[in-house]
Amino acid sequence: MRLLWQAFRLIWSAAPLAMWRGALMFVVVLLMGAALLGLSGWFITATGLAGIAGIGIAFDVFRPSAGVRLLALGRAGARYGERLLTHDATLRALSALRVSLMRRLSRLPLPEMQRLRGPLALTRITADVDALDGIVLRLGLPIAAAFLTHGIVFAVLYWLTTLEMAVTITAGYLVGGALIMLRLIGATFGPSRNAERANQTLRQDTIGMMRGRTDIIVQGRLQTHLANLRRTDDLMRRDLAQLDRVDREAGLVLALLVSVIAGGALALGGYLVAHEMLDPARAAIGFFVALALGETVMPLRRGIAEIGRIRDAAERILLHDEQGMQTPRVGGRTHGGGLRASNLSFRRLGASVSLINDLSIRVDAGETVALVGASGSGKSTLLAILAGTEPGYTGDIVILGQDLRAFGERELRSVLTMVPQRSALIGGSVLDNLALAKPDLTRAEADTVLEAVQLTKVIAAMGGLDANLGEGGAGLSGGETRRLVLARALLRGAKVLLLDEPTEGLDTATAEQVLAGIRMWLPDAAILMASHRSVEIENADRIFSIC
Amino acid sequence: MSRKSSPKSAVLVRIDQAARPALKPASYAMVLSGVLWPVQAGGAALSIQAWAEGHPEGLLWAALLFVAVGGLRALLDYWAGGLLFRMADMRISEERHAMLAREAARAEQAITSASLAALASQKLSLLMPYLTRYQPAMMRVKIVPLVLLGLTFYISWVAGLVLLVAGPLVPVFMALIGVAAKQASERQMVEIGALNDLLIDRLSALADIRLLDATRQAEEDFEIRAEGLRHRTMAVLRVAFLSSTVLELFSAIGVAMVAVYVGFSLLGEIDFGTWGRSLTLYQGVFILLLAPEYFQPLRDLAAAWHDRAAALAVAGEMDALERVEGEAVPGLGGKAEPLKGQATISAQGAVVLRGEQQVLLPELDLKQGEAVALCGPSGAGKTSALLALAGLLPLVGGDISVAGVPLEGGVADAWRARLTFIPQAVHMPDTSLRRFLDPDESGGDIHAALMAAHADGIVAALPDGLETRLGETGAGVSGGEARRLLVARAILRGADVVLADEPTADLDPDTSARLIESLRSLARHGAVVLVASHDPQVIAAMDRRVDMPSSVSLEARQ
Repeated sequence: MRLLWQAFRLIWSAAPLAMWRGALMFVVVLLMGAALLGLSGWFITATGLAGIAGIGIAFDVFRPSAGVRLLALGRAGARYGERLLTHDATLRALSALRVSLMRRLSRLPLPEMQRLRGPLALTRITADVDALDGIVLRLGLPIAAAFLTHGIVFAVLYWLTTLEMAVTITAGYLVGGALIMLRLIGATFGPSRNAERANQTLRQDTIGMMRGRTDIIVQGRLQTHLANLRRTDDLMRRDLAQLDRVDREAGLVLALLVSVIAGGALALGGYLVAHEMLDPARAAIGFFVALALGETVMPLRRGIAEIGRIRDAAERILLHDEQGMQTPRVGGRTHGGGLRASNLSFRRLGASVSLINDLSIRVDAGETVALVGASGSGKSTLLAILAGTEPGYTGDIVILGQDLRAFGERELRSVLTMVPQRSALIGGSVLDNLALAKPDLTRAEADTVLEAVQLTKVIAAMGGLDANLGEGGAGLSGGETRRLVLARALLRGAKVLLLDEPTEGLDTATAEQVLAGIRMWLPDAAILMASHRSVEIENADRIFSIC
Repeated sequence: MSRKSSPKSAVLVRIDQAARPALKPASYAMVLSGVLWPVQAGGAALSIQAWAEGHPEGLLWAALLFVAVGGLRALLDYWAGGLLFRMADMRISEERHAMLAREAARAEQAITSASLAALASQKLSLLMPYLTRYQPAMMRVKIVPLVLLGLTFYISWVAGLVLLVAGPLVPVFMALIGVAAKQASERQMVEIGALNDLLIDRLSALADIRLLDATRQAEEDFEIRAEGLRHRTMAVLRVAFLSSTVLELFSAIGVAMVAVYVGFSLLGEIDFGTWGRSLTLYQGVFILLLAPEYFQPLRDLAAAWHDRAAALAVAGEMDALERVEGEAVPGLGGKAEPLKGQATISAQGAVVLRGEQQVLLPELDLKQGEAVALCGPSGAGKTSALLALAGLLPLVGGDISVAGVPLEGGVADAWRARLTFIPQAVHMPDTSLRRFLDPDESGGDIHAALMAAHADGIVAALPDGLETRLGETGAGVSGGEARRLLVARAILRGADVVLADEPTADLDPDTSARLIESLRSLARHGAVVLVASHDPQVIAAMDRRVDMPSSVSLEARQ
């Protein structure tokens, strides 16, 4: 419940004014609906009575009939306004939520970020965000509006009819509605969580099957995979069937509730009229209003069916929310060049052994240091720490004479660039990819940087800077991708450059030219590169062994 | 309505037909529930008439009738809803599996993996509301309003006329709005797709984007797109809300006019429209209660209109996918006993289709224990040739024989059971390395196989050894390492046919040498090894080379 409330506030607070106006209009819609039917019922019964009594001429027909028409028009207008306002406000909130989620994800530690699997992370986020739209539109708003409406209707009924009639209708709806909600909400939690999980598995396994298709067919496992998908689907369908049952049960009992209350108002009206406690026309108001108020509870049906899904989505989204941002830094006091780390230790969260133990390293401006060590000795981790993406280290790191901890994110990125081992390109043109590093990039500059990494010919053969790369930079070979990633990094003009196996996938001659090109481009930068290839080690001024 | 003018989707026609057996009884039940309302209305009208006439006592039965019939109607709807859900659930599941089986077996993938996954797991579900809400609403709208209209006419032709005029205007407006709604909703679907693609792309490169200080730029980019999506969604919603508002307006005005007419008639100020009789209070209340329910099926239909638009969009995508032509991979892709006989491959004038292009395979006659290089410039069709020999591409001409029998659908599974195919880009499934190497849990000696493939060092460097999960991009395994792991799997499975596609691309010389040695050792153990490559190091290490025929020879053949 707490989760639902938090999520409700999150969505509501994005555009509270619009939400309040929408909520108000919602109440107006419900009240006008009740008034329309109540007034019509009263009008007909009263005119019937007048007709029977033969006093038709004295009856004021104009005000009630004008009221009926006004209510009819007003109600439709208010409904339109309410829907536009609340939906627009909700979409605004969801849009803001998407962007802020992306922002939060981009603050994750680097390794965690690299583990984010594009399509799957995306599905999660979009599906979760989409699920949250129901919290206000189909739960919060209808419930709040129903309460308000019933409060007002109670007062009006008490004034127009009797206390008994008002209590029967209001208490019937509120107590009945609350009981139904409480009874059915819990029933949706389990199945909706399971169905969602099964749906994610289905999607993930479909992607897996399609990407590994060739191998799967050669292995003779296609039928096994299809059977697995069918099993997942069956699990999902079982839970969906349960959700459907809850949904229909909600519909059934809500419809029963309306019948019982309207029937009750009818019986009570007869009793009150028989005992001359109420005149027939006013008794008719009770019945007609009871009937019209069915509109306050029927929309809850969809909310009930969705509540489990909303709750799960809220749980995941709010979880991300709590992984807050880092505190602001002081910064602004860089001078000189190079990087220096002393007594550096690092232990992964939950790991028992330190990955890096009391390490000290120094790279001066204009110097190239090759960082060597066996796989798993922590080369990439050291680079990630130095790049400021792993804040949980002990010891001191000084970049350009300023403590790493004092740097703001943007300040650090403006002087330090890191090229991780598995770098990704983005879809778009070659120029788009390069411009990611430097938004005001000129074409001439782009050409020179491509020259520095020996890509001029390759790109020219593809059709120049405007040649389009597919999703994730598809269309380039591994070595070409690597060089474009390096070119992109060079454009940052960094004073400290951290490279993780920069020439992986390049033949020796090209690797040598690329390394020379990097140094030419950034003559004064401190370059630290994690290396295992002899060509990289031979091109360094100094070797630092990590082990 | 617009249904007739637009050609109906083949998928939707098929689904509608299959849904009919359940749709009929369910719709009848819902119609019955709709036409039972007059009974309830009659009970209520009788009560109020009795109050006015001053004998309200003995009419408790009317209130009870009201409740009982209300209960019956709710039960009918409940039952019909269940029937519809089960039917729709079945149809969707069948469509889903047919689609997955068809797409997975295509020789050439017709749709990106992520798009197929989205279609199968998410978008297909949009057919559910179409089947459970739109279709029955369509049936109901044809009967219930007519019955209620008939009853109203029977009592008063003026009230009937009011409903008659207000009613048919509704479909006219809806047809107009429906067309706009469909266009808007299609635009929105396209936009959602594009936005999702963009987000996938950016999320995949999130680490790089941050390191390049492009986070803000990427966020702004994304923010603009997200705003665009909101605008489009609102455009769709505005049209949808407008249509339901129009309906509500008509229904409210219809009810109001009936109420006013009834009031004036009862007062005696209007004395026409009731077939010469005078209107009683009972009749007045009765037709007033019928009026809102007369419009209700129309409103239900309008609410379900969006469901139809969504279903049409999904069905359109399914149609497009089904219409993509292309052969299926020969065989079932299932388990089979390995094909008997010597590990030999021969090809005579074999031609396969790759996209629009025909690829001619070289004449081949490979013996057991032979390691052969398949050479040719980039784009000569080396990969297609390997795929064809693996039975993954159907032949359009010529013959391929494997182990002495023609390679056809019937033997493809058995042939592949003894074969290992090493592609250029190895896909690492999201399982543990152990499961990857030994998917059938045969319990073979994984370590020995890794040693033989010079891949034991790779496993030693992984954080959890054999239990490491490999994941989408092969966490911690480079392209060359992945290929060596595949060699290890070939050894573990005892595969004696190995087809490798550019196995040394992007590798440094040391790693290349080790990989070539692994392949050679497979040949020494009696396998037939065919390696497509233009790497001189590889070509030199093989027993002999075969060259891809030039495209001229294909034209000459024709």
